[in-house]
Amino acid sequence: MVWLSRRWQLLLMLAPALLVFSVYLVYPVVYSVFYSFSDYNGVSKPKYVGATNYRAMTHDDVFWSSLRNTMVVLGVALVLLIPLAFLLAVLLSGPIKGAGALRALIFAPAIVAPILVGLIWVFILDPHIGLVNGFLSSLGFAGPQWIGGTSLTPLSVGLVYVWQTLGFVLTIFYAGLKMLPRDVMEASALDGASRWQQLRYVTVPMLQETFGICTVLVITGAFKVFELVYVLTGGGPVHLSDVLVSYMYYVTFRLQNYGYGMALAVVICLLGVVVSLAYLSFLRRRRRA
Amino acid sequence: MTTSQVARSELFGTTEASPGSHFVKNSRRAGRGIWIATITAYLVTFVVMLPLLWILLLSFRSSDDILSRPFSVSNLTTQNYKTVVDTLNLMLMYRNTFILAVVSVVVGLVVSFMAAFALTRMVFRRRRRRLQKWLRYYFLAGLAVPVYILLFPVYRLDLTFHLFGTYAALILPYIAISIPFNILLLTGFLVEFPEELEQAAIIDGVGLFSLCTRVVLPLMRPVIATLLILNIIYVWNEFPFAVTLINKSSLTTLPLGVSQFQGVWSTDYGAEMAAAALVLVPQLVVFAVFQRQVIEGMTLGAVKG
Repeated sequence: MVWLSRRWQLLLMLAPALLVFSVYLVYPVVYSVFYSFSDYNGVSKPKYVGATNYRAMTHDDVFWSSLRNTMVVLGVALVLLIPLAFLLAVLLSGPIKGAGALRALIFAPAIVAPILVGLIWVFILDPHIGLVNGFLSSLGFAGPQWIGGTSLTPLSVGLVYVWQTLGFVLTIFYAGLKMLPRDVMEASALDGASRWQQLRYVTVPMLQETFGICTVLVITGAFKVFELVYVLTGGGPVHLSDVLVSYMYYVTFRLQNYGYGMALAVVICLLGVVVSLAYLSFLRRRRRA
Repeated sequence: MTTSQVARSELFGTTEASPGSHFVKNSRRAGRGIWIATITAYLVTFVVMLPLLWILLLSFRSSDDILSRPFSVSNLTTQNYKTVVDTLNLMLMYRNTFILAVVSVVVGLVVSFMAAFALTRMVFRRRRRRLQKWLRYYFLAGLAVPVYILLFPVYRLDLTFHLFGTYAALILPYIAISIPFNILLLTGFLVEFPEELEQAAIIDGVGLFSLCTRVVLPLMRPVIATLLILNIIYVWNEFPFAVTLINKSSLTTLPLGVSQFQGVWSTDYGAEMAAAALVLVPQLVVFAVFQRQVIEGMTLGAVKG
């Protein structure tokens, strides 16, 4: 290989990727961090203001409410998505006719653009024209304001996120289940373990790593939710339903308060990393204990 | 199953479920259990499918009808589809999205492959070995970068380079984002590439270009296919960059178009849903055809990433 590794050849092979990657990914990250310490509106020259933008966040009610909403989305996803996907994966790895087709159908929402998923769910959740409230009112109940109200939107966003990601997480669990050694299952069955006991004491502990992967995926995914809020409510009323990324988008591109917007972006990014790492170290400590 | 296993399962009353099923069922309990499991599974799948079916149903109904009698299925009409085809340039959106997807995914894969090849197979002279390793980490660090932090800086970059109003405004960031994961998978495969093959080719006197295209690439088809699928799905559905970087209606992509449906028809719900169906259904059909590869690719992507 040495003969084909002249310096110009190496440069030629590396240069295009290095160039695009450095200019369009690395430089922007540095730029964001840099401008998060400045007051910048795109017209006048950016002014260095130290940590002002970061301090401003602590007094910003909308920041806290969007943080809370993001946490609600994350909570809904962790509480519903992980157990549901796992149980479905167990169900669909059993001897059910057409299990493969069912898995593909449940997976389908994962390949649909999030923006389109949002639009579809407008017609399910909208208080006036939506399927859910239409159904409830035909039964004689007044349905709640799933989206656009002051309280339920983040829950609804969480539900839609669960709907979109269910098949995806299910498939990861399914792949994990397929890799479990059969003899352990047989042994526990011979020892007289009920199916529930098998699930609780054999399957779940053996799939710890898969649970870890799925949880980290759900955490990073929940911090990135943007399109769903964009179509479902646009953040309204008065930002009560904004999540972190949609609020950051609003500050940056509607208010054109670039410095503060970049500070928000940096904080969201760090939060995602910190929560994931905290979860991973929690896992590791529990495994050692 | 070996003979002894068959014998054992007969002895102890366990039966082999479908191949690969990891639960060993007790045959006496199994009968009813399987029924319950089957019904549950089909029910859940139906509930998951319901929103999509509902959209399709709405797309065949007039808006007045939707409002006055939400659950009626009489009076189905294709009028909505006519309205959409008359008012919306869907073909343009399909064309734009297709061009963006093909160019950015193909170019992204080519440059990623070149870099991955240099980082694993080529020889860095003298003490530069460490540089080779660090360069790989440099690319892989990109995996940790979320898209939203890039939106505004990329917007500024496109302004600086006068790229606004061109496909390149989107293609360049799409390529950049695809590079880290492409390199992760490609280098993972390339480090294990058999050296003998490579040496034989070099002794036969091939150059760098034909070594890559005629010897190495043909053996990498599965990895390339996985990356193609992942990247195309990403670009096809991408919204945050599209809404930030597209300022001309002639460049509108499908996701950007979808975000404008509510504004275009406001209360003409039927038309809105017909438009949504015209974006959704082709995508689902393609998924149905390639579902095995898509599901495997996306799962692998998640687990490795």
